[in-house]
Amino acid sequence: MDVFNQLIYDFAAWVDTHQWSTALHESFYVYNWIESTHVVALTLSLGMLFLIDLRMLGLAMADIPASTLARRLSLPMFLGFTVMIITGLLLFYAIPVRSAQSLWLRIKLVLLFAAAINAWLFHRRLRTAGQSWDTAVKAPVRLQVGASLSITFWVLIVICGRLIAYDWFDCRAEPSSFIATLAGCIADQEQF
Amino acid sequence: MNRALLGPYPRTISVGAVIVFGLAFALTDARHTTWEALLPLFEWMEATPPGVISQTYGAVFALVEAAHLIAMAVLGGAVLVADGRLLGLILRDFSVSRVLDQSHRLFVWSLTAMILTGVFMACGVALKVYYLNVFWYKMLALVTGVFFVFFIRRPLLRGDVENMNPLLLRLVGIASLMIWFSVAATGRWIGFSG
Repeated sequence: MDVFNQLIYDFAAWVDTHQWSTALHESFYVYNWIESTHVVALTLSLGMLFLIDLRMLGLAMADIPASTLARRLSLPMFLGFTVMIITGLLLFYAIPVRSAQSLWLRIKLVLLFAAAINAWLFHRRLRTAGQSWDTAVKAPVRLQVGASLSITFWVLIVICGRLIAYDWFDCRAEPSSFIATLAGCIADQEQF
Repeated sequence: MNRALLGPYPRTISVGAVIVFGLAFALTDARHTTWEALLPLFEWMEATPPGVISQTYGAVFALVEAAHLIAMAVLGGAVLVADGRLLGLILRDFSVSRVLDQSHRLFVWSLTAMILTGVFMACGVALKVYYLNVFWYKMLALVTGVFFVFFIRRPLLRGDVENMNPLLLRLVGIASLMIWFSVAATGRWIGFSG
């Protein structure tokens, strides 16, 4: 774990030496526009995703066939996710060391990985589920489980994303050794 | 009754009256007087239980912020689906009225959640937001959005939508998207101000 944390720290410290990284961080308008775009893109990506998931659970758009809705909303959803990923990477680029050592960002990345696997399984099940249930109020149980997991993962991802702004577990706040290891703090590191 | 008083165009006249009232409010001293009169309300908000909890427990405030974002995402989904259909961009093989009806329920629930979480958050930073111009821009955008949905878009599209001029439907969709984008963008900007 220490070797992994050191690698991440070295990489983040190297990114921090880039002139563009500092310029982005110090530009009030550009940085805040990127952060705003990240949040506004959330309404597109998560808005579509939640609609699909709620439809599978029979809680929204019940009059529209479920698999049709999922297919039609996938494109705007992926468009939103693409903008979110690009702006998310730019936000990391602007504040690399603090972000790399953010406990919440690390939990968020694990949850994003879990959400991606769940999405892949969900779409595989959707393809093999046939269309006999398509106009039913609720999707088959396996798809409902996938939709519930998707909502849960993304709610937790949003919470973690929001908590990144808070410095409770930052390395400079000297957290417990367990939290420090999870957050990737390095002993006697340079403070950024 | 309305028809007797306002003639054959009650909604047009009502909207015009609201715009005239809004302009008169914005361009006269009434705006500043109202703002000053609202100060005790904002001072009281900070002393309410949500205000005290928000200021005492940062984690609770952060969780409510996340809930506000999630509600905004759901509201965004409902608005984008409805307006995307009005613009003829998505779900084109389903009727406009069907898509609008289905998304409206979700819109109402998410708007309710957004307002509840928003009020909770505002109580925590009431005096800060009171002095922020962008907070009032957001409130203006939000009121405009709610007014637009419930008093313009919904009554307008309750009629024979399928036979309406597609250009009108597109204009309604574009107006709606612009209003709700303003709500989201000004809301985000509150976090950067002050």
